[in-house]
Amino acid sequence: MREIPYRIAMQEALIEEMSRDEKVFVVGEDVQAGTFGVTSTLVQRFGPGRVIDTPLSETAVAGTALGAAMTGYRPVADFMFADFIFIAGNEVLVNAAKWRFAHGGKVNLPLVYMAAMGGGARNGPEHSMSPESLIMHTPGLKLAVPSTPYDAKGLLKTAIRDNNPVVFFYHKRLLGLRGPVPDEEYTVPFGVADVKREGTDVTVVATALQVQHALRVAEEVKERVSVEVIDPRTLEPLDIDAIVRSVEKTGRLVVADEDTERCGVAAEIITQVMERAFDALDAPPKRVCAANLPIPGGFIEASVLPQPAGILAAIEAVTGRALKV
Amino acid sequence: MPLTSSQMKTLYANMVRARRFDEKIVQGIADGKTVSFFHSGLGEEAVGVGGCAFLRPDDYVWFHHRGHGIAHILSKGGSPQGFVAEHFGKATGACNGMAGFHYVDPEHGLLGFSGTIGSAFPVSLGWGVAAKMGNRGQVVVCFFGDGASNRGTLHEAMNMASVMKLPIVWVCENNLYAQFMPLKDAFASEDIASLAIPYGMPSKIVDGQDVVAVHEAVQWAVERARAGEGPSLVECKTYRFRAHSEGAPDVSHFELRPPDEVEAWKKRDPLLLFRERLLQEEIATVGELDRIDADAAEEADAAERFAIESPQPDPSVLQEMLYAR
Repeated sequence: MREIPYRIAMQEALIEEMSRDEKVFVVGEDVQAGTFGVTSTLVQRFGPGRVIDTPLSETAVAGTALGAAMTGYRPVADFMFADFIFIAGNEVLVNAAKWRFAHGGKVNLPLVYMAAMGGGARNGPEHSMSPESLIMHTPGLKLAVPSTPYDAKGLLKTAIRDNNPVVFFYHKRLLGLRGPVPDEEYTVPFGVADVKREGTDVTVVATALQVQHALRVAEEVKERVSVEVIDPRTLEPLDIDAIVRSVEKTGRLVVADEDTERCGVAAEIITQVMERAFDALDAPPKRVCAANLPIPGGFIEASVLPQPAGILAAIEAVTGRALKV
Repeated sequence: MPLTSSQMKTLYANMVRARRFDEKIVQGIADGKTVSFFHSGLGEEAVGVGGCAFLRPDDYVWFHHRGHGIAHILSKGGSPQGFVAEHFGKATGACNGMAGFHYVDPEHGLLGFSGTIGSAFPVSLGWGVAAKMGNRGQVVVCFFGDGASNRGTLHEAMNMASVMKLPIVWVCENNLYAQFMPLKDAFASEDIASLAIPYGMPSKIVDGQDVVAVHEAVQWAVERARAGEGPSLVECKTYRFRAHSEGAPDVSHFELRPPDEVEAWKKRDPLLLFRERLLQEEIATVGELDRIDADAAEEADAAERFAIESPQPDPSVLQEMLYAR
């Protein structure tokens, strides 16, 4: 199978969906050039009427998608950095999330809010966030966090076809990651976790970049411990059944996610597992997340963000085995 | 084109209807039937009625929180039964009893509402983008209060709407107070209409107690928008007869609104002014107007009975309201 980068996989999803449905359009700041190379080339293909460069106005970007979706369009709005969603917090978290519910199901919002999440680029506290828990916490929003080119393309196509507001976080450090993507059309369903690596001793649930970290660690320690890596792929809906099934097999759980630890994605997943399968656990679960600090810029960034070494240490803690190479 | 006598009578009827329904919800607070809060629009009926009358069904209207939009909704063809039932918390409400005070009726271009002040602008912008893309001559009429003019979303949306020459009519319903805050202490200029200058659009300031003057000004802006000439701003100077919300103190900052100010505005009741005009210009007889008054009272009574007799929503619907299939 051919291998293409994550950002090109996303671009293919946009091209295919814009070709398939004339109601799909892209809007945001500098989407014609494409700040991260995701929306690049679309304007040459579909013209400026469907690839709309906006002024530097996040509430206008969010509102354009929100209003147009109500009238039957399928907008994909790009916020550039996930941190910028906070600027349009009212539009995303209050309006988009609640609109259908508050209006008795009479108006649908088939839109995608897309943004680059994650650190690793040493961009400092306002350009490195992974605000997944904020979205996951808010009823009415779906949330996709792809970890591979295959998932990025398939999930984005599903997001565009979904009749609800979907937040789609693509990870900055994965944009250039190459991976197999079929030539033929496919979609990846929401709410279906993917077992990225099978194992029997410990379950590592990981999201986005942490999936790649977890796979690397699992490979490094494979002679001493058998690690199962599960990628939920969407956090709302969350395939908790698949996670529980894995924990019932391994008896041990690590959750690696790049959002801040406190009240984060890992906390939610671990709580749900404990409510459903407490007796299956042979050791207290561990979280591997960003420290409860803003994400600093420069070299010191790595001290705050979750690293492969943290996943390794967590696996050691829940299995009681010394694994340091 | 000057209004026909039949259209003039429609304007009168819609103002009377708006007043009767507003009074019903006010009374409902005292009677314990209105389940949420209410921001009466008594005294401001001419703005919503004059601004929304004779729009196309597929034109989009953002009503605002004064009167919870009843004057706008009625004039746009929305059902007042759903309005009352929603305020009484019933399953037959416009939002199936899910919102308490929102209103939605997609067939009449009423796509919903948000109670967070300033949401009007980004959402209306999105409707404007959709209207322009659809290219069927639809326009958006966005009503907002003087308080909303303090929000940054106004800048983002008005700027982008002007840049894109969107078919939007911005109508400020300036009643001089944002809850308890007098305009003079909250807005750095005399007239909200002065905002038209930086955004490169034309504007008009009208007497918001004169329903015909409001209609003519909005109609001028609607025709510009339909012709592809872009957005305009209309400021209607008006006044609310009651406090910000039922049960709230009727104050400017912390002291009562000046009694001579209140009395002067009450003498300029838009209903009485228009009734006098219709009689003076012999457009309608006393008998005709009395019949309109009686019909409006009967319609409001019937809607109230319908709301009282309707069931409360069943909690089993909650999950299906959240997401569309």
